[in-house]
Amino acid sequence: MRSLQVRRFFARNTYLFALLLLGIVLAINTALQQNPFELRVLNGNLRVFFPLMVLVGGQAIVVIGGGIDLSVGAMVSLCNVITVTWITPESQPNDIALAILLICCVGLAAGFVNGLAVAYLRLQPIVTTYATSFAFAGLALLILPRPGGELPRDMTRFYRSTPGNIPVTLLFAGLIVIVWLILRSTRYGQYLFATGSKADSAYATGLPVNLIRLSTYVLSGLFAALAGISIAMNTGSGSPRIGDAMTLDSIVAVVLGGTRLSGGRGGILGAMIGVIILGSIRNLISLADVPTWSQTLVNALIIIAALAGPGLLRLVRRRSA
Amino acid sequence: MTTLRANLNIVRGRISPPLIALLLAILLFLAGGLINPDFLNVVQALNIVRLAAFLGIIAAGQTLVIISGKEGIDLSVGSIVTLGAILVFRITNGADALVPLGLIVALLVGAGIGLVNGLGITLIGIPPLVMTLGMTGVVEGLILIVTRGKLEGNTPPIMRTLISSPLVGEISGVVFIWIVFGVALWLLLERTTFGKQLFAVGVNRTTARLSGVRVQRVVVTTYVLSGMLAAFGGFMLLGFSQTVFLNLGAPYLFPSIAAVVVGGTVLAGGKGSYWGTMSGALVLTLIDSLLRALQLQEAYKLIVLGIILLSLISIYGRQRNLRQ
Amino acid sequence: MAISLSAEHIVKRYGGVVALSDANLNVQAGEVVALLGANGSGKSTLSKIISGVVAPNAGQLLIDGHSAQFAHPQAAKKIGIATVFQELSLIPDLTIAENIWLTHEPMRFNLSVMHRELRTRTRALLDLFAGTFGSAPDPEALITDLTPDARQIVEILKAISREPRLIILDEATASLDSQQVNRLFDLVRDWKKRGIGIVFVSHRMDEIFRIADRATVLRNGITVGDNPINAVTEHDLVQQMIEGASAQTESRRGVSQAAGVRLQVDQLRAGIVNDVSLTLHDGELLGLSGLQGQGQTELLLAIFGAMPFTGRITLSGQDVHFKHPAQAMEHEVAFVPGDRASEGLLLIRSILENFHLPSWGKYGFPLKMTPARQDATQTAADLNLVMAGLDAPVSSLSGGNAQKVVIGKWLLRKPKLLLLNDPTKGIDVGAKAEFYALLNSLREAGTAILFYSSDDEELLGLCDRVIVLHDGTLRAELAADSLTRQNLVAASMGTT
Repeated sequence: MRSLQVRRFFARNTYLFALLLLGIVLAINTALQQNPFELRVLNGNLRVFFPLMVLVGGQAIVVIGGGIDLSVGAMVSLCNVITVTWITPESQPNDIALAILLICCVGLAAGFVNGLAVAYLRLQPIVTTYATSFAFAGLALLILPRPGGELPRDMTRFYRSTPGNIPVTLLFAGLIVIVWLILRSTRYGQYLFATGSKADSAYATGLPVNLIRLSTYVLSGLFAALAGISIAMNTGSGSPRIGDAMTLDSIVAVVLGGTRLSGGRGGILGAMIGVIILGSIRNLISLADVPTWSQTLVNALIIIAALAGPGLLRLVRRRSA
Repeated sequence: MTTLRANLNIVRGRISPPLIALLLAILLFLAGGLINPDFLNVVQALNIVRLAAFLGIIAAGQTLVIISGKEGIDLSVGSIVTLGAILVFRITNGADALVPLGLIVALLVGAGIGLVNGLGITLIGIPPLVMTLGMTGVVEGLILIVTRGKLEGNTPPIMRTLISSPLVGEISGVVFIWIVFGVALWLLLERTTFGKQLFAVGVNRTTARLSGVRVQRVVVTTYVLSGMLAAFGGFMLLGFSQTVFLNLGAPYLFPSIAAVVVGGTVLAGGKGSYWGTMSGALVLTLIDSLLRALQLQEAYKLIVLGIILLSLISIYGRQRNLRQ
Repeated sequence: MAISLSAEHIVKRYGGVVALSDANLNVQAGEVVALLGANGSGKSTLSKIISGVVAPNAGQLLIDGHSAQFAHPQAAKKIGIATVFQELSLIPDLTIAENIWLTHEPMRFNLSVMHRELRTRTRALLDLFAGTFGSAPDPEALITDLTPDARQIVEILKAISREPRLIILDEATASLDSQQVNRLFDLVRDWKKRGIGIVFVSHRMDEIFRIADRATVLRNGITVGDNPINAVTEHDLVQQMIEGASAQTESRRGVSQAAGVRLQVDQLRAGIVNDVSLTLHDGELLGLSGLQGQGQTELLLAIFGAMPFTGRITLSGQDVHFKHPAQAMEHEVAFVPGDRASEGLLLIRSILENFHLPSWGKYGFPLKMTPARQDATQTAADLNLVMAGLDAPVSSLSGGNAQKVVIGKWLLRKPKLLLLNDPTKGIDVGAKAEFYALLNSLREAGTAILFYSSDDEELLGLCDRVIVLHDGTLRAELAADSLTRQNLVAASMGTT
């Protein structure tokens, strides 16, 4: 009975291994440099990590629901360039709020296209979202052919602010996790996991499987929009290729965070921890004076080691059993 | 709408996906003639086949990996292509006599990377997508360490002669090599025990194991082959580009997957053919050439490409309906 | 409250294949109707249509005399129709409790699921089957960790939890042991009293006569008989199902003493199997019995090299320790797994490829397809396989024919030791009879057969000897005079 509860605990709290990794990475970080929790350092890091932390929220939901979204990066670029096009240093707060709302709608719409194609036209997610990513990237390039644009000072200042000595990005990340935990305890949460775990059974039980699949991509679009806005607020400008590298990073972070790539298991908290791990590894490498030409390799090797961790543990346990 | 759907069903049911892709390629070529009459001639056709051959060869390993199922996919092919080309470039340094050595080293390194992929996936249980993605980083890191950013070397002249220059009439050597590839992969998939076991592994690993198939061995072999074939793709590409750069192989990565899918190989595994991938490579290369011929702005080109890809997938890339 | 349902002239086509051409079924409130038919006769399709999972091409469903159309499974549920599926509808990564209450979870403020309430209600439901499990499952256990019988019971409880007015039990007893079946039948009698209608799909004749009021027989997608149960005999029903074919042939025959020992197992431990020893001679049919999940499957898997074990296994006097089925196959051992679809077949591949999967190696390089096709054609003919052609996918075959492919692929290798894991589960009477004949001829040819079956009748009718496992240990060895139904049942229950 005891072992059953342990099994269930690990099956449900898939982020535990990621948490362990994070502890190791942060400990090394502390040993090498300064305290990573010092406000200035923390805020500086989170500002860079935050957009991907938002983005993986959407990717995690899609993956839990049994799909994958290779268009997230292009959606980020699209929403990023729209942000700097629609919002200028002269924009009034009301206009800014409206613009942000509309940008979220753009993300939702982009996600809706993906969801429609995957859930209702029944196209294979990998190639479908890969195809739509071209269209989104093209649109981004059309709207802003060259990097540029400028945001109001207040927006960038807000993004760096630390109300009550807590970085505002951390507050928003916390907010997203809380919303996720609530969502998970709702009927939608049950349906999401059920659909990702075994779609046929979920359908036979009477779940609106197609609608749930659609919703995951729509949410992914929304998260991509928020990530695009965040990048603009961090850099103060926009770029049509800014999201390119984020797609594959988002998948690695989701898997590092304990979400099962075939669906039905995982969560946003783990994915966010995954992002922090990825970012911290990069920081570590630059702190540890790794020779320039070796940095890429060392980074990749650490990531592979981290990905292999849970599997290796299982292997060792099976051998010793 | 219903008649359209019915017609599509007939198309899907009666004609095999590779054939659809081939018909589509011919149709696209003719469409190219409508846009620009200069497009429609033998030299252009041969040029497109030549370009498609490179993609086709690079997508060969991808076909095998995708057939092996269980989310099988190889995202490291792009970087292995680059590494293979760089190795040959450096080892031969322009000497014809060193080509066999360069090729063998490239193939062995490609196989080694594939072996690590295969072991990580089977033994440790890392999902193929992230395992091969991680390996991409490792290979890129290796390239940086080996080259330190300086890409020194040279391409042996014989490679140009045998690969990209016209060899017989106007036809380049790569086209012949591609045809040999086609026959060899058909033999491998349809006329060897390994091929039959690969399909079995792709459909149902429990059944395969209980029928005496050594599943892990088959999967690892498949990734090794994929790494080797990608390195060979790099060798071929060097013969075409005559030079190397860090981004040589990356642009072929997703097209290699798209070519496999457009050719009717199922991403879920257990079903597919290399003929299909060959047709798929032709279709994708044609689309690319057409978009070039249209001389569209980059942004519009991307949008049109996205829409075309989406419609291509929707012709026969559809999954099973939950309600029968 | 109570409803009646009738399905009239239902037609269903899958592509070009006609599954149902004129299916009729009528269930009144408080009535148990058994739905019978050979494999491929359309029973499962008809139950799926009634539960809204499959859409019919023609015909109509009447609920209380009014025409009804189900656009999706939920529509049928709303009316009060609950189905216990043959292919389970459970979600592996959710708990028992979550699965049972999926789509009708108790909610707090209509927002979040009340987990405590979920557990309490689930315990109450699990209590209905209390005492029939090896160890009582926890409501919080994940489905993926459960044994097949526990999953089947959860499936049943899931249907009950909706307080349905009509219950369809599609092969619901196939993976239950006799004690669990008894408990289920107690429940069914209770439902009857409360006016619930029940459609009972089963291959087990004795169960049908125990519980059903009426028996509706399907043959090739057409309803060919609708009989009050006390007006027909088993023989009548079989005749209706198979149109002139004879019922099962059975024979029992002692092994000649001269036969050599093919398999000797000493103190084998694997999974729950604990210290099992047995001896099997050439030309002997040794039955393996006991309740579900007492270690029979593990025993077979271990001998076949598909599961790690400790202990000693000797084949024809030679010590062996297989680590992979391929090694066992080199020693002429064959294994027919219990679950055709997930363990025995490559559904989307051709019949030819399924036949030769274990044997491609002997056709050289490049594979010589002409002899391969000849061998497959010969085996198909030997087995009386009904198929469109060797290149048709196995998924196009009916259950009984698909099982012939699973067996055929091993016959092609002419095994000396054949391991069978409940091979007749879910197979119709006609196919069973053919299968029994096949076993007898293999035995005459000197093949040693270790045969696990969940059907006691089968073991009693066919086997020379039967060993009974209980909780992973060997509880009894029955032969000749001691091989009686009473001894078999007693030993399975753990009493000796």
